[in-house]
Amino acid sequence: MSSLQEQMRARARELLTQGAVQMVIGWEKGTFWYLSPPAFITEPGECDRLVWDEFCTNNLAKYLLDYKHTGDKIALFVKGCDARGIVRLLQDNQIARERVYLIGIKCPGVKDGRQAAALGEERRGEVSPAEKCRFCTHPEPVIYDELLQEDGGEAIREAAAAAEGRFAEVERVEAMSPDERYAFWTAAYDRCLRCYACRNICPACNCRECIFDRSQSGWCGKQMNRSENMFFAITRAMHVAGRCIECGECERVCPEGIPIMTLNKKIIKDLNELFGEYEAGVDLEARLPLGQYKLDDPEEFH
Amino acid sequence: MLKIAKDKLPQLLQAWAAGARVFVPQEKDGTRVFLPWDGQGKLTLDEGNTLEPPKDLFFPRTETMYRYQVQGQEAGVTEVPPFDAKMVLVGVRSCDARSFAIMDDVFLTKGYVDEFYRRRRENTRVVALACTEAAPTCFCTTFGIDPGRAEGVDVQMWPLADGYLLEVVTEAGQELLEQGTGLLTDAGKEEIPAAAKPGLVVDIDGVTAKLQRMFEHPYWTAVSRKCLGCGACTYLCPTCHCFDIQGENRGNSGYKFRCWDSCMFSEYTRMAGGHNPRPSKKERLRNRFLHKLQYFPERYGKFACVGCGRCLDRCPVNVDITRVIREVKEVTL
Ligand code: SF4
Ligand code: SF4
Ligand code: SF4
Ligand code: SF4
Ligand code: SF4
Repeated sequence: MSSLQEQMRARARELLTQGAVQMVIGWEKGTFWYLSPPAFITEPGECDRLVWDEFCTNNLAKYLLDYKHTGDKIALFVKGCDARGIVRLLQDNQIARERVYLIGIKCPGVKDGRQAAALGEERRGEVSPAEKCRFCTHPEPVIYDELLQEDGGEAIREAAAAAEGRFAEVERVEAMSPDERYAFWTAAYDRCLRCYACRNICPACNCRECIFDRSQSGWCGKQMNRSENMFFAITRAMHVAGRCIECGECERVCPEGIPIMTLNKKIIKDLNELFGEYEAGVDLEARLPLGQYKLDDPEEFH
Repeated sequence: MLKIAKDKLPQLLQAWAAGARVFVPQEKDGTRVFLPWDGQGKLTLDEGNTLEPPKDLFFPRTETMYRYQVQGQEAGVTEVPPFDAKMVLVGVRSCDARSFAIMDDVFLTKGYVDEFYRRRRENTRVVALACTEAAPTCFCTTFGIDPGRAEGVDVQMWPLADGYLLEVVTEAGQELLEQGTGLLTDAGKEEIPAAAKPGLVVDIDGVTAKLQRMFEHPYWTAVSRKCLGCGACTYLCPTCHCFDIQGENRGNSGYKFRCWDSCMFSEYTRMAGGHNPRPSKKERLRNRFLHKLQYFPERYGKFACVGCGRCLDRCPVNVDITRVIREVKEVTL
């Protein structure tokens, strides 16, 4: 059987040639060997730009919002986490299901690009899996129109499914004294540039008008200081509560290396404890823990 | 030419810190940035460029401009005390040194002097450190910058295996080195190490002229598709200098502040009535590149990029300015 990358190129070419879709979104090779950024293909002749390698980390789901108001049908390659991002957008009625054509990839896991850059190409084999893949419960897409048939990552997937420590970092921070915890989070977010990369990549962040783009409202001021930065941090985290699919993209894109996932996971952990186990973006029909009301909902919050 | 042993450097910084705030690359929480030297920090002078450029020392992320208060029919303004601390900036690479000249053009020339910037800038001495190794993202030589010797600085340093060579460039630099008497020795026959040779080089000849004819080109749609419209590239850029001015009002008093802003944000060009002349990331990304490669050269006769590679290193989706320059030169009009 041909490689996944060849299948990707062939399918993209077919879909574009038939006119079944107007655009294919996948990945292509970037400036350096450890970068495989998103690629947007509209011509059948361009399909050989598409690549599949261990650095195809970028979650592509969010890009659908850019084409929300066009009539185009768009094909998208989806790894497990990308597919959960799609489910999130569908649940929020952000895009009509028939406007997207999903080509699923049985994901063998991706690698940590920043570590790769530091190690150098000779040591490509030693690069660790991306943090998100260590705890990935759905490497196979939960939603797709077709599934490409190659699967090189059985071992990684099994290891990921059984991995412990999904909340290890959360527990470490929980064990701190309130003062230590304050010091930990303020030190992290004092660095925050308020660049909003974390928000812009996130498939759970899809408000048409974001509070942080409305500084005149007076809710979150534009000053880059501790108080506004913390307000930003907490508000962003709460706005994705129950909707975060743990794709890890916010933390990957943060230029300042802020441990954003620790905050997201703290909320996931709390939600699980308060409202029962829930995995966002897995079941299209399941109601969100914070998107419904039950008479016996617990009222305490920590 | 003078020399200092590596283990003596903290003492030299300490000597300077007696009369000024000394900023030097240090590691903090896994990042390398210019931080005030307090004698304790972990110096990371030798590891190339810092994550953030030192621009916020002259152009802080947020700074108060004046305070005001209203009482009955009376209104008053209180000026903030002018910045008058002395600063010494140590370990500035050639690319960042060039960025200071670019910022000077913006804040000090063409008939308006920005006092906030001027005070900080004039109170600062710059000690440059030459690069003997370039990161894969470095492309300073593209803009005629010499990684082995910085422009417009007071002292130039070069790294050696066991220390640093220092050369006085200005009178202020002379004073700085006099403060290091006892720590500095004559360099004798030590040779200046060879400058780094960045592997990334792009031919910028004619790019401004080409861009002048490309405002409506479909290229901008294609290149902006993957852009997230975040502010990472502009906030980490040593030459990006856009700011916003807003107020914080509480009852009868408040203050005006200015803070960094980014042309990659939708709010940046949104008018009072809601109209936005740069409605999508296509227009915003185009503005970023046109500003650096067309508008700035038109106004000041130099590019507003110094090839530091920070945007290339940190852009989450690999929008690469060197590739953009190359592609701009290739597209058909
Ligand atoms: S908050 Fe982060 S991990 Fe969660 S969905 Fe958004 S980008 Fe992914
Ligand atoms: S990506 Fe990082 S630096 Fe940018 S706004 Fe988010 S937390 Fe702050
Ligand atoms: S070019 Fe990159 S860093 Fe800049 S706004 Fe776009 S995605 Fe963000
Ligand atoms: S545009 Fe990029 S490479 Fe050029 S000076 Fe700014 S951050 Fe550095
Ligand atoms: S861009 Fe040039 S001057 Fe700047 S750090 Fe790299 S090699 Fe040094």
